[in-house]
Amino acid sequence: MNQLQDAKKRYEEIPIPDDLSVKVQEAIERSSQKRRENSRIIRAGYRRFLSRSLGTAAAAMIVFTTLLNTSTAFADTVSGLPVVGTVARLLTFRSYEKNEDDLKISVEIPSVEMIAEDTNGLEDSVNQEILERCQAYADEAVSRAEAYREAFLATGGTEEEWAAHNIQIRVWYELKSQSEDYLSFVVKGTENWSSAYNRACYYNLDLKNGTMVTLKDLLGDDYIQQADESIKKQMEERAAAENISFLSPEEGGFTGITAETPFYINESGNPVIVFEKYEIAPGSAGEIYFEIER
Amino acid sequence: MKQDLYNNIVTYIIENQTKFYRLAFSYVHDQEDALDIVQNAICKALEHYGSLKNEQAVRTWFYRILVNESLLFLKKQEKFLSNEEEAADIPYDEKGYETVDDLYDHIAQLDPDVQTIIKLRFFEELPLKDIAEVTNMNLNTVKAKLYRGLKLLKQNIQEVDL
Repeated sequence: MNQLQDAKKRYEEIPIPDDLSVKVQEAIERSSQKRRENSRIIRAGYRRFLSRSLGTAAAAMIVFTTLLNTSTAFADTVSGLPVVGTVARLLTFRSYEKNEDDLKISVEIPSVEMIAEDTNGLEDSVNQEILERCQAYADEAVSRAEAYREAFLATGGTEEEWAAHNIQIRVWYELKSQSEDYLSFVVKGTENWSSAYNRACYYNLDLKNGTMVTLKDLLGDDYIQQADESIKKQMEERAAAENISFLSPEEGGFTGITAETPFYINESGNPVIVFEKYEIAPGSAGEIYFEIER
Repeated sequence: MKQDLYNNIVTYIIENQTKFYRLAFSYVHDQEDALDIVQNAICKALEHYGSLKNEQAVRTWFYRILVNESLLFLKKQEKFLSNEEEAADIPYDEKGYETVDDLYDHIAQLDPDVQTIIKLRFFEELPLKDIAEVTNMNLNTVKAKLYRGLKLLKQNIQEVDL
């Protein structure tokens, strides 16, 4: 019996090659492509029918959605993310998990797909940037964890104790809001053993103009003043209500926003300014959000 | 409806890819070959996803395709070897097989059929009923082959939790 368990253990220890998920994705895409080719004929007939009865605009719209749903159907189920209006969608571009040397890494990289005819190349440049950032983060996080491991073992820690650390590295994303005008989401990277390297990148896309949304676009020319006033007021309210002791400007606390201050757009279309943990308050307060009403 | 089924199969594949790889690898003992087998199995499954009648059965259905791909690969390899003139010079006991005191290696030397049953039962922990479906044999045949296999492996059947 023990022998069988040993054999099972050996089986489970068969190393998983890094490119397995890529190969799997390749195979899935190859098959999806075939399916699309097969259904093209049907769709062409559908379009002719529609253009006669409903006019070309409506027909084009339906063809768009059909195409979209076919081509990205698999990613959609995987990420479970909704279709963003009819203009863009966010989907999992690549996702993989690894577990080696008691190091758990799970990575989910999103990509944006836009349907507007002219997106100024926004889609490509955003996707490129996301991909690069995610990969760079995952690589750095792994080397940080490995350096930690070496140091831990070199200073007398045992493998068992190291395993108990249960190191986990995660890269993932969250859709913040979606409308016909905007797509707002955040890509995050975390290491469970240290929050010092946590990263969050916020992306707000203007789907109509194919640009990145700025605070100025949302709040107008005096956006700095508006946001600063609103944040100061909310800080006072929250200091009282939630007992958060915000850092004073001398202690490195809030002094004012800039054009680069990260934010996302919430469901009501308002910008929400984000401060990372430790940025303007003690770490116990975590990330802090301020909605700025327009 | 069809689209849903397709998507669910894709999700199942993505979630279980490491299992598929291990099973394929356990037949061919080669990374590139195992990756090829997994890819082929996925393509075949998605091309013929209409043949999956009952969505609950996606696991047995996919394993059947995967096991068939693996066995097919072994057969081709065998043919290739026997066609080579030097085939006789190639020792059957290739690297790693000299010592069979490890049960894992011993399993790899059993009949492909028996191998499949043992791996699915003990490594993948499939119920015998499902294994019968994967291997397209009836339940009693599966049992008989499993007992025989365990006997060859000198595993005491009473001790083994079937």
